[in-house]
Amino acid sequence: MKRAFPFVRTARRTGRFHSADSGGPGPSRRRVLRGLLHGSAVTIGLPPLLSVRRAFGETCDDGFPQRFVLFYWGNGVRPDLWTPSGEGSGDDWALSDELAPLAALKHKLAVVTGMSVKVPNLIPHWSGAMGFLTGIAPTGTDGAWDVQGPTFDQRLASEIGGDTIYRSLELGVLTDTSISFAGPGARYPAERDPYAFFDRIFGSSFREPGSDTGPDPRLAWRRSVLDGVMDSIRTLESEVGTEDRERLQNHFDGIRDLEQRLARLQEDPPELAECTRPDAPETAYPDIDGRPQLAARARAMSDLTAMALACDQTRVLTYNLSTPLTNVLFPDVSEGHHTLTHNEGGIQPQVHAITISVMEELAYLLAALEAVPEGDGTLLDHSLVLGSTDVSEGKTHSLNEYPILLAGGACGAFQTDVHYRSYSQENASKVLLSLLRGFGVTSESYGEAEAQATDGLSAIEG
Amino acid sequence: MRPHPPARPWCALVLLGGLSSVGCDDSPKETASTGASELGPAPAVSPPTPRLRRLTQVQYRNVLVDLFGDDLVLPVSLEPDVREEGFQSIGASSTSISPRGVEQYEDAAYDVAEQVVGWPDRLSRWMDCSVDEVVTDACAADLAARLGRRAWRRPLTDAEVERLAAVISSIEAESGDAATGVMYGIAAILMDPRFLYRAELGTDDGSGGRILTDLELASRLSFLLWNTGPDDALLAAAEVGTLSTSDGLRAEARRLLDDDRARVGLRNFFTELYQLDLLDSLTKDPLVIPQASPEVGPAARAETLAVLEALVFDDDADFRTALTTRRTFIDRRLAAIYGVPAPDVDAAAWTELPQAGGRRGVLGHTSFLMLNAHNSTTSATLRGKFVRERLLCQVMPPPPADVDTSIPEADETSPTLRDRVAVHLEDPACSGCHELMDPIGLGFENFDAIGKWRPTEAGAPIDPAGVLDGVAFGDAWEMSAVVAQHDQFGPCLAQNLYQYATGLPVEDGDEALVEWLGEAFAADGHRVRELVLRVIESPGFSQVGALQ
Repeated sequence: MKRAFPFVRTARRTGRFHSADSGGPGPSRRRVLRGLLHGSAVTIGLPPLLSVRRAFGETCDDGFPQRFVLFYWGNGVRPDLWTPSGEGSGDDWALSDELAPLAALKHKLAVVTGMSVKVPNLIPHWSGAMGFLTGIAPTGTDGAWDVQGPTFDQRLASEIGGDTIYRSLELGVLTDTSISFAGPGARYPAERDPYAFFDRIFGSSFREPGSDTGPDPRLAWRRSVLDGVMDSIRTLESEVGTEDRERLQNHFDGIRDLEQRLARLQEDPPELAECTRPDAPETAYPDIDGRPQLAARARAMSDLTAMALACDQTRVLTYNLSTPLTNVLFPDVSEGHHTLTHNEGGIQPQVHAITISVMEELAYLLAALEAVPEGDGTLLDHSLVLGSTDVSEGKTHSLNEYPILLAGGACGAFQTDVHYRSYSQENASKVLLSLLRGFGVTSESYGEAEAQATDGLSAIEG
Repeated sequence: MRPHPPARPWCALVLLGGLSSVGCDDSPKETASTGASELGPAPAVSPPTPRLRRLTQVQYRNVLVDLFGDDLVLPVSLEPDVREEGFQSIGASSTSISPRGVEQYEDAAYDVAEQVVGWPDRLSRWMDCSVDEVVTDACAADLAARLGRRAWRRPLTDAEVERLAAVISSIEAESGDAATGVMYGIAAILMDPRFLYRAELGTDDGSGGRILTDLELASRLSFLLWNTGPDDALLAAAEVGTLSTSDGLRAEARRLLDDDRARVGLRNFFTELYQLDLLDSLTKDPLVIPQASPEVGPAARAETLAVLEALVFDDDADFRTALTTRRTFIDRRLAAIYGVPAPDVDAAAWTELPQAGGRRGVLGHTSFLMLNAHNSTTSATLRGKFVRERLLCQVMPPPPADVDTSIPEADETSPTLRDRVAVHLEDPACSGCHELMDPIGLGFENFDAIGKWRPTEAGAPIDPAGVLDGVAFGDAWEMSAVVAQHDQFGPCLAQNLYQYATGLPVEDGDEALVEWLGEAFAADGHRVRELVLRVIESPGFSQVGALQ
């Protein structure tokens, strides 16, 4: 059943204002204004249409852009069941129990094991999560911690995200928060509702390639309002302390992004053969037996992810299957995930089963990207999917044997079908430095202090 | 008074006094009253740098209801609130608005504005002319000034009015439609940082410090007491300079406290403090806990808030009775969990829990018991941690890294949780902290993960007895009384109310005042209304730190 209404409401809607115009799904801004203007055509001066975009970052030989997806889950793995057997490439390595669901795309994977996140492990789960993704130790305590730099996805988005409708997109399957941070105090939410995610990207503002419906004349008015808000923020900035100035700058940056997005919506959509508006997902995924419908939710999000990337709506997407410390009840297990990592005895078969479920959903995502033909290969070939988590093993919160998985190779920028194993607990930041460089970003180093890497990991570089 | 103990990774609490037991009477023993006359004046403060406070989701919606009426369909997708130091109100002083949040505030602003222009009753409160006709410049300016003053919690400058009126006029001209112009003007007011942030930044007090202006005081007062912006009367009082006199501030504080909206405000404080908002998203495994349903969490929150509201506003009672009272407010779902007759078949109602049976006070409520448990099983550590951190303001450090945190699974040799968590208390890497939390939590073991009474676990009797900071207790009810009498219990509420009022964690410069507020709370018979007034009249409420 598809709901007729793109927004969830807490209170009754009287419908009085909309009653004259209740024919379709509403009330999108487009519909509302059509109602307001009594259906009359609106013509105002529009900026010249621009059909060619300048590419940021690296472009593949076949002309397609590189994309980055961060696939994230909470509470780690069982390292003994995660680590592949054998090392090197091709037939020299084989997938482990926990990686077995990825078998169909083994030739497009790179698994890195034996690395360590080098920050002091003082804040369970967050030292690892943020120590890895920012390369800097988070500050504070459990109840009030903060990052000291952007997470890798946002760092990359600031470099290569500037030319698409969205600089980055963050979604959640079992969570409404993302592990993404722009900087201190600037955490990103994640869209957890597949229908809302669909509506945001492929709703009324989306135009398919080749469509000639013409841009929405109201975009210019929205832009003028946003200009006023930006002026207000600048004024307020002069009245506050240093840290508030940074917060206001983050707010300002968000408005500028939105303003630029509206400007792009006034241009023609890019010509992309595989881009079409996808079918809408279900409007609700009710829990069953107190457990979220993991596979149905994750697969709806994976299908939308593939099309968002194929339509070049963004080049950086963070897919939060779950987040650090998640205590959600997975299907077929007896306790919350985090509780199980601490309270399940023995070899923790239920914790292991959860990791298998997570890898099955990663396999679905990779297959969805692989199913989109693009240029000389597939969308997956043009992408780099980084899979990681917040600890190596939930039971101990250890930051050694850190799980790091790469898929896709981003047009040959990275090796595929390889298992690299470190025997010296190398710095996990080396991987992110290689990733940054593979996306064409010049950087001397990644991370700070004990977690700083100045050399990449050559074994994964293409 | 800062949260303690700060030592890491080892916990160390100095436990004073010898072992003593407590009685079982329903009312807390009277501590020797120091009497208000012995309480000195509030000490000076040196507060931290003030921060912009983003409206929390609840505040944002409360303000919209104030402006446009309670039949407005309220936006639900907004920048998420982040808990810091236990409070969303503190997180709102340090987090940024994300790019997604910007989109959501824009969507919300247009959605609300559209509902206002299409509804003459909502619009006529702010504008004298009709959008069916041409809206004149004067009319647009009048709307901007009137709505802007309430939305931004201060009169607008001429330049601000002019800018907003220009938005209305220019879009009216381009679209040929007055309603469209007005809609964009209203949306502009609602997207502005002056709406989204409370700027209680103070002004130079002439002697090196900074003091809140009258209008900033009005905002701080109103959000503390009502969790929404100032009404017309409060703004008017601020505009004539009433609030910067102590009599004027006290009079307005009492007026707000006597209004029913103060109940809403206090409920929000306790919701944040005791994390009752989390009850909406809490899932219990229905395969293990048959009473679990999506309705139990909200019912449990309603119970706890009703008890606290009645205690503060109807009874003006000693706050410590919150932990000992048998009077409660339950629906049939909670009655089934508690094993008592439902006071009403259809709705929640007041009832008196039986004298027999160990359920007393807020720590016997399903809210506390289910929030501080796992999905299927109980957690001595989580329940003990809540008592230490939220009720006694003591910080429990996280477990050290690379220590195996797993506990043995239940079997015949260790049927009860007390048997299984024994490893926490044997291993020195664990015991330093766990001996502060687990014995408290084990005292609640007679209540399962949803708060249902159970005499045994896996067939073995549950032994709830323990010791809290040198005072022995025999079961959960006795422990509640021990917590109520704990010398940190009253001061902790004072500290939390102060932090909630300022939106900033307590720092060194506030310590003396916070300690004094704890003493004042005791001297006032632990009455929360008096504590609220003490906070408002204290220098920490009206003074802020230097802008850095």
